Amino acid sequence: MLQLLQGISARASGWVELRYHVRRSKRISVRNGRLEESSTLRLAGVGVRALVDGVFGFASTTDLSERGISQAVSEAQGAARTSAGAKREKIASLPKVALACGEYSVQTDDPLDDHSLTEKLALVMRIDERVRSASKAIVSSSVAYSELQDEKVIVTTDGAAAHIIDAKPDFRVLAVAQQDGDQAMGMDSAGVSGGYADLFAERAPEEMADKAVRLAVDQLRAEYAAGEVATVILDPGLVGVLSHEAIGHTVEADLVRGGAITSGKIGTSVASDLVTLCDSGPSTFIPYAAGELLVDDEGVKTGRTVIIDHGILRSYLHSRESAAHFGVEPTGNARAFEYSDEPIIRMRNTYIEPGTSSVEEIIASVKRGYYLQGLGGGGQADSNAEFMFGVREAHEIVDGKIGKMVRGVTISGNAFEVLKSVDAVGNDFAWGLGAGHCGKGQLAKVDAGGPHLRCIVTIGGRQE
Amino acid sequence: MNKLIDLCADALDRTKQKGAGEVEVYGESMRTITVAIEKNDLQVSRAQKETMIGVRAFSEKRVGFASTNDPTAIDEMCADAVILAKASPTDENNVLPCREVSDYVSGIYDPAAQDFRIEDAIEQAVRMLDIARSMDKRLILGNGEFSVHIGTRALVNSNGISSEESESLFVYYALATARDGDEVSNMDYQFDATRRAEAIDVEPITRRACENALGSLGAKKGISFNGQVILSPNAAQSLFASLILFQANAKNVLRGMSRWKDALGSTVASDLITVVDDGRLPNGVGTASFDREGVPHKRLELITSGRLMSFMHNTYTAMALGMENTGHAAGSARSVPGIGPSNFEILPGERSKGELIAEIDQGVLVTRFSGRADPVSGDFSGVAKGGYLIENGRISRPIRGTLIAGNAFEALKSLSGVSSERERVFSLTLPYLRLEGISITAG
Repeated sequence: MLQLLQGISARASGWVELRYHVRRSKRISVRNGRLEESSTLRLAGVGVRALVDGVFGFASTTDLSERGISQAVSEAQGAARTSAGAKREKIASLPKVALACGEYSVQTDDPLDDHSLTEKLALVMRIDERVRSASKAIVSSSVAYSELQDEKVIVTTDGAAAHIIDAKPDFRVLAVAQQDGDQAMGMDSAGVSGGYADLFAERAPEEMADKAVRLAVDQLRAEYAAGEVATVILDPGLVGVLSHEAIGHTVEADLVRGGAITSGKIGTSVASDLVTLCDSGPSTFIPYAAGELLVDDEGVKTGRTVIIDHGILRSYLHSRESAAHFGVEPTGNARAFEYSDEPIIRMRNTYIEPGTSSVEEIIASVKRGYYLQGLGGGGQADSNAEFMFGVREAHEIVDGKIGKMVRGVTISGNAFEVLKSVDAVGNDFAWGLGAGHCGKGQLAKVDAGGPHLRCIVTIGGRQE
Repeated sequence: MNKLIDLCADALDRTKQKGAGEVEVYGESMRTITVAIEKNDLQVSRAQKETMIGVRAFSEKRVGFASTNDPTAIDEMCADAVILAKASPTDENNVLPCREVSDYVSGIYDPAAQDFRIEDAIEQAVRMLDIARSMDKRLILGNGEFSVHIGTRALVNSNGISSEESESLFVYYALATARDGDEVSNMDYQFDATRRAEAIDVEPITRRACENALGSLGAKKGISFNGQVILSPNAAQSLFASLILFQANAKNVLRGMSRWKDALGSTVASDLITVVDDGRLPNGVGTASFDREGVPHKRLELITSGRLMSFMHNTYTAMALGMENTGHAAGSARSVPGIGPSNFEILPGERSKGELIAEIDQGVLVTRFSGRADPVSGDFSGVAKGGYLIENGRISRPIRGTLIAGNAFEALKSLSGVSSERERVFSLTLPYLRLEGISITAG
């Protein structure tokens, strides 16, 4: 395929980007012992982007012959040429950048294909059974496994020639407990870039089932939190959610141009100087981050992009086009979910760097506050960094000690205000957003995480 | 072997050979041209082409599903479906529908669509931009699209169903805002679609979106009271259509999540409300001869003068609940059949929108609803976007930041007016609705 695409690219006039993508995905989901889905999907195709007269055109095809791909090139060029007459904003030229050549492959000792569909289906059924039989209070369960295996070849007329192999499995457990008409939900999930054993390296699936059950059952006994502005300790999962949802989207260069709150703020202080926030293609500190991306879908080699350096906003996240507009280097953030999607600016693995305090020390220093863990029950954030997230597990902290569990907690505020209030950053690190997808017109596998940190947020109490 | 139905029949044979008892194969072949608009300018234009095949294999009431767009991987797909079926638990309700004789619908395919080129689509998108520019300098088409979809669907199963049909669809929508100095108006969204190339007309929706955006400029704080609200078709979609579709979905009945699970035959809405889902509606966006399982589409009254008459079923839920299959299997060839509407409509009332407004002493017209509407409890609360105050029977002024809240189940029962005018919101056709006793809070 590499030779075929290089041949077509060599004969093309003007700038062309060819992306061959074969995806094999599997999904198995069970609800209350009943199989909801067990399926495989194989998608193969080539997405072509052409730049003519300063305008992009895009075409995709499933005809993988030389003729079929060449026809898609003509269609993309035709789309660009025709739009060029009417489009106002033009791209002067794409920035020169180190483009990827060679092999890029996900690392694992335990490839997903070494485990049969039958084995995966049996696992999901078994864990669902474990959830339902764990406690009399459990009234509903749902367990799902899914995996994506990708092979890509990216060739551009300005030099990219990369062959990429990737694998991203994830696993989710949900338990609903009920007592006297009162319901509570518990969940746990994991997602990685890597193999089957890597998915369960942190926690075995049985532990995830037990955790979901415990969270659901314990919450039935917990009281609702009262609404207040409070000192809290966020766990790596919530630090990840805050970094991705509430900060990360506001620094995507296309949204910056659309008027996001970070517009014009490069070089200014936007957070406590204890905060260094990054978005990285490769995994950092801990392997197997679910958003791992060694080469982006424009063929740009990825690295670690420092967005906020000790409190100062340093960079947005860029595609080649937005980098040209801002006059900076591309950051390798252009991603396309499927062959028929065009690359747009997306995050990869977004996190806050570890600091120097031990987690015990941080907890011990809180007189009155909350220890908050994980995203639960959804949330939302806007391009002005206002956010509201549900918290999966919340405990009171009294006199430096973790106390009783409270339920129904939401946190809200302006993410930059919250980052300004950070006064202690843990020396630990974990990824926490590996399962599921980020949506922005198209999907993307991302991860996010960080250390524990102490800050001030608005706690929302009882929500019916 | 170029015909889609032959590809499907071949996959069916292969799946049988690999050990499946019953088999269903669904294929979709689609060519799409999309021209997008963003911030008053053209965005990247796209041309796409794909044929997707999905196979459901059954083995002793166990089921597995696999799909691909790769013609060289058909054999692997058939094998996967059988492996998954054999590893799955049995479920008595895993059956396939039988063949029913039915006519094909007409008018959903326009041969002229084949000649429609990307240049033609760009011309239509440019027309939308030009209309907005010529209307008022303060207008911004923040988003919009003109797209062409030409495709064929085919379904074969081992019970003898073998159906294929082609369709064409032109879709266009516009999101407009107006900016006057520092003031940004409400964003208004309008949509339309047609099956025939000669019926394409982007002007009415573009104008309507722009007029609504301009009309909401100068909006000021409203007033707080408890009273009447007129919902536009857009707002009615957010508040009621999704609520009705959730309750009427037999999957939610089966899961015990539908509030109407025991309500067949009883009153769930005002007697002014009749809800129809008609899969054979002429020129409908969701019109097709057969559903995702090959069952013929028909006209179904979900609610007749306020009484719940039927749920929407596919084969599985009809079997599990012991009811009649209504032909509502939905979804793409990439996934197992779910349940969904085809052309959902609330039938028009006898009085005009103007007449409904004329009877209101004090009320609010809501053109778009942005907020939460919980399909289980029916509770809704959110912002009335593009809101107007109604005083003494006429629209007096635009208002902003006004919150409306209530319960959609109750509001559906107590509503007092359904307009004769209707608008298309995706595959839904909805009138203006007049609600009673809604809590309105000036923000």
